[in-house]
Amino acid sequence: MRYLPSAPVEDRALLDAIGVKSADELLCGIPGSLRLGAPLNLPPKSSELDVLRCLEAMAGRNTRFSSRFLGAGAYAHFIPSAIDALASRQEWFTAYTPYQPEISQGTLQHIFEYQTLICDLTGLDVSNASMYDGGSACVEAALLAVRVQKKKNTILVSKGLHPHYLEVLRTNVAAREGLNLLEVELKDGVTDLDDLKAKLTPNAACVLAGYPNFLGCIEDMTAISGLVKPAGALLISVTQESMAFGWLEAPGKLGADMACGEAMSFGNSTSFGGPFLGFLAVKDGFKREMPGRIAGQTQDLNGKRGFVLTLASREQHIRRDKATSNICSNQALVALRANIFLQLAGPEGLKGLAEQNAAKAQYLRSKLLETGKFEAVFSAPYFNEFVLRYKGDADALRETCLNKGVLPGLLLGRYYEQLRGCLLWCATELNTKQEIDELAALVAGVKA
Amino acid sequence: MDMALTPSETLIFERSAPGKTGMDLPALDVPRAADTRPAHLKRQSFEAMPEVSEVDVVRHFTRLSRWNFGVDDGMYPLGSCTMKHNPRLCEKAAGLPGFAESHPLAPPKHVQGNLELMWTLQEWLKEITGLDAVTLHPAAGAHGELTGALLIRAYHVSKGARRSIIIIPDSAHGTNPATAAMAGYKCVEAPSQADGTISFDDVTDAAAGHVKKGLLSLISEHGREIAGIMITNPNTVGIFEYRIAEIVKLMHDIGALVYMDGANMNALVGVARPGDFGVDAMHLNLHKTFSTPHGGGGPGSGPVACTAALAPFLPRPAVVKTQSGFDLDWDRPQSIGKMHSYFGNFAMEVRAMAYCLSHGSDGLRQATMRAIMNANYIRKGLEGRYHLQYDSPTLHEVVFDDANQSKYGVTTLDIAKGLIDRGFHPPTIYFPLVIHGALMIEPTESEGKAELDAFVEAMADIAERAKDDPESLRRSPVKTPVARLDETAAARKPILRWRGE
Repeated sequence: MRYLPSAPVEDRALLDAIGVKSADELLCGIPGSLRLGAPLNLPPKSSELDVLRCLEAMAGRNTRFSSRFLGAGAYAHFIPSAIDALASRQEWFTAYTPYQPEISQGTLQHIFEYQTLICDLTGLDVSNASMYDGGSACVEAALLAVRVQKKKNTILVSKGLHPHYLEVLRTNVAAREGLNLLEVELKDGVTDLDDLKAKLTPNAACVLAGYPNFLGCIEDMTAISGLVKPAGALLISVTQESMAFGWLEAPGKLGADMACGEAMSFGNSTSFGGPFLGFLAVKDGFKREMPGRIAGQTQDLNGKRGFVLTLASREQHIRRDKATSNICSNQALVALRANIFLQLAGPEGLKGLAEQNAAKAQYLRSKLLETGKFEAVFSAPYFNEFVLRYKGDADALRETCLNKGVLPGLLLGRYYEQLRGCLLWCATELNTKQEIDELAALVAGVKA
Repeated sequence: MDMALTPSETLIFERSAPGKTGMDLPALDVPRAADTRPAHLKRQSFEAMPEVSEVDVVRHFTRLSRWNFGVDDGMYPLGSCTMKHNPRLCEKAAGLPGFAESHPLAPPKHVQGNLELMWTLQEWLKEITGLDAVTLHPAAGAHGELTGALLIRAYHVSKGARRSIIIIPDSAHGTNPATAAMAGYKCVEAPSQADGTISFDDVTDAAAGHVKKGLLSLISEHGREIAGIMITNPNTVGIFEYRIAEIVKLMHDIGALVYMDGANMNALVGVARPGDFGVDAMHLNLHKTFSTPHGGGGPGSGPVACTAALAPFLPRPAVVKTQSGFDLDWDRPQSIGKMHSYFGNFAMEVRAMAYCLSHGSDGLRQATMRAIMNANYIRKGLEGRYHLQYDSPTLHEVVFDDANQSKYGVTTLDIAKGLIDRGFHPPTIYFPLVIHGALMIEPTESEGKAELDAFVEAMADIAERAKDDPESLRRSPVKTPVARLDETAAARKPILRWRGE
C-alpha cells in the first residue's frame, strides 16, 4: 500500500522491539468477542490510476453547463490563479489548528489578516477565524444574541433569509428549551416593517435579516435598525453573497450589532455546497461571547510581534459544557482562499467586481424582460440576483434551458407558495454578454 | 528545521500603496450598472483592504507559509488529531471540474456523479462502522456530535419522553460536553478508574477530598432522565473501553442511547465495528481517519452513522438510490431538519472517497495495524524515560506525562518546545485533563521506522537535558521565527485586528 511505510523487514523489526510475535497481539485490549471476524466487505486496494479513472467517471456523470445563472447562496465567480497555487502549498493545507504558535505563525498571521478584512467588509469590530457555513454562522450569531440578552427568548427571523439557513436555525433552536423562533413576513420582497414592529415585543432578543436577502432584494438595514434598536433587540445582518460588500455599505455602519453569512464567493468554487465559509463579526462588547477560534497579536520573549490563538477561555477545550460553542475544527483553508482573494482584489478590485456583477444582473434582467415572457415581481433594488415571474410553464422553461446546457435560475415555488412560477436569476462577472443574449434568445424561442 | 530564512514578514496592510492592485478586471461587455442603491446603502470606503500587486500577495503567502510546520515537513504526532499523510491524489480528485463546478441546487438529474459519490461513501462508512445509515452533512467532528445529540433528542421525543441528561466521561474531548449543552442537555461527568477507562464504581478523589459517582451510581441516581452517554472509543488515552458491551447494555436497559465519539476510529477500522458492539450513533472525522487535510484548522467533515431506529431522524435531504440512478429525498417527516446549508463539505467527501478506494478493505486494516504498531513502538522507546500513568494496552496513541521531568523544573510545555527545536511538531499537550501534564503522542501509520527512531531519540535527548540543562529547554524554541509568545497579554488586552499605524 503506497501510503504506508510497511515492508516485511521493517514490520518485523518494530514487532521485535515491541516484544510481540504478531501485530494482532497488540489488539489484546479489545475483547475477542468484539473484534471483527472477517475482512470488511469492501473492494481491495486500488492503484492511483484506477482511483482517478473511477472518480473522473463519476465527475463526468455531472452535467457541465456552458453557462450558469443560478446563485441562491452558492455563487460562481472567477478564481485568480494565485489562489490555487498558494493554497495548495503543504504548509497551509496539511497543518492543523495553530496550537503551537512558534511553528504556526503563518496560519496565525493569516487568520489575523482575515479577521481584519472581515471587520472591514462588515464595519464591525471583532471577527472570528471562520464558521462552517452561512447557516451555522446564523445559528451561532442568534445563540450569542440570546446569551447576551439574558432573559429575552425570542429570535425573530425575516422570511427573506435563505430558506436553508432558516431551516438550520430552526433545527438548532428547537433543541433549546424555552427559545422561540418567530418569522417576520415579507412585503414586496423585503421585510415587512409593520409586521416586524408588531413582533418586536420585549422578549425579542434579536432580528436576523438578509442583506441582500434570499430574493436578491436589498433590505434597508437603516430602517430595520430604526425599529430594532428602540425595542432593545440586536440586529444581525446576514449576507449570503459577500461580493455585495463591494456594492453595499457595511452593515455595522447601518446599525447592525453583528454580521454573519457566507463568504465562499471570495476565491472558492461552488463544489456542490461545500466546503464553504461562514463568517461572523460582532461589536467589541461581545468579543468574549464569540464562538470559535480567534487570533490575537502579542509579543514574544524578545519583544518581537507575533500572533496566538486567544480568548480561549470561551472555548470548549477549556470551558467544556459552559463554552460559548462546541466548534473546534472550522473552515480555515477556505478562509485562507478568501484572504488571498481579498488581498489580490483590494478595495478597487472588489468595488469593480461588484459593479460588474450589478451590471451583468441588470443586463440579464432587461434582456429577459424584453422577451415578453417574464414580468417583474419586486420593486426593491437588487445586486446580482433578482426574481422574475415566468408567464408560461416555468418547469418546462427550466427543462428547455437544462437541455441546452444552461443552468437557469432557481424555481421558487417550493420555498415560497406565492412565488410559484417565479425564478431567482443570478449573474456574475463570469456571465458574458453573449451567454446572456443566447439565454434571452432561447427563452424568446420557447413556444408558450 | 530552520525557519529563519525569512526573518520577518510584515502584515500585508503595512505594505499597501495607493493605486496598486493584484487583480485586473475584464472589460465590461454590457452597459455600466445603473446606480439604483439608496444613497445611504452605497459602500463608501474600506479602511484596511490592502492595495498590493500579485507579486506582493504571492510572496506574502509564500513567506508566511514557511513559518508553518506541515505534515510534509516531518512527524506531526498531534494526539487525537491523526496527522497522517495527505495523498495528492485526493486533492486532484476534489478539484475535478465536474465536481468543483457543480451547484448544490442544480436538479439531481444533473449531479448524478455527486450523488453517486455520496451514496458510495455512505455505503463504505456503513460497512466500516457496522451501522445502518449515514449522513454526510456535518461539517466537522463537533458538528457531527451535535447532529448525534439532536438525533438522540428526537428519538426520545418520539417516544414521548424528553430526558435531560447526557453522561460524559472525564477523559472526553471538550467538544462532548459543549455539544451536549448546545443540544439542551445537562452534562453529568463519569470518572475514570485506575486503568484509564470509565469507572463503573465510585472513585475517591483524595486530592479533592470527595467521591465521584461511578457509572452505576449515576444510573441509579438519574435513571430514566438519562438520554444517553457520549463515549470515545478507544478513549482519549488510546485505551479501548473494554466494557463497552456492558455499558451499552446498562444504557439500553434504561432506554438510553449510546453515542460514540469516533475521533479515534482510526484505531478500529477493519478491526472492530461500533455497530457490532451496540453503539446507536457515532461520528467519523474524515479529516482524521480518512486523511482529508486539516487545512490549518479546517475544513473537516464529520459524517454520522446510526442504527435503523435512528435513521428516520437524520438531517434532510437524504441521498437515495432509485431505479434510474440517485436522488435527494427531502420528504423526511421525522428528520431533525438541516445541519448544513447544503449537504456538508462535499469536496472533503470526494477526498475521503479517494482515500477509501485507494486503501480498499485490505489497506484500511493495514493502516490501522501500522498506526497501532507505531504507537506501541514509541511507547516501548520512551517507557522508563517518561512517566506513563496508565499501564493498559496502547492502541493508536500513547499518553505520557511530565512527572519524571517536573522534578527538574521542566514541564510538558518545555518538552513540547524542545521538540520544535529538534525538528518535530509537538504532541497534543495538557490533554486529556485526567492526566496531569499530558503528552499525547499519535504517530499515525504514515511514519516509517527511521522517523520513529529519530523522534524517540529527540525525546530521549530532551529527557537528558531536563536533568543536566533544564534552562536550555525552558528557553526553547530558538530556531523559530518567534520565541515563546506572551499569551496572557494577548488575552488581557486583545488586539484582534490591524487598525493602522
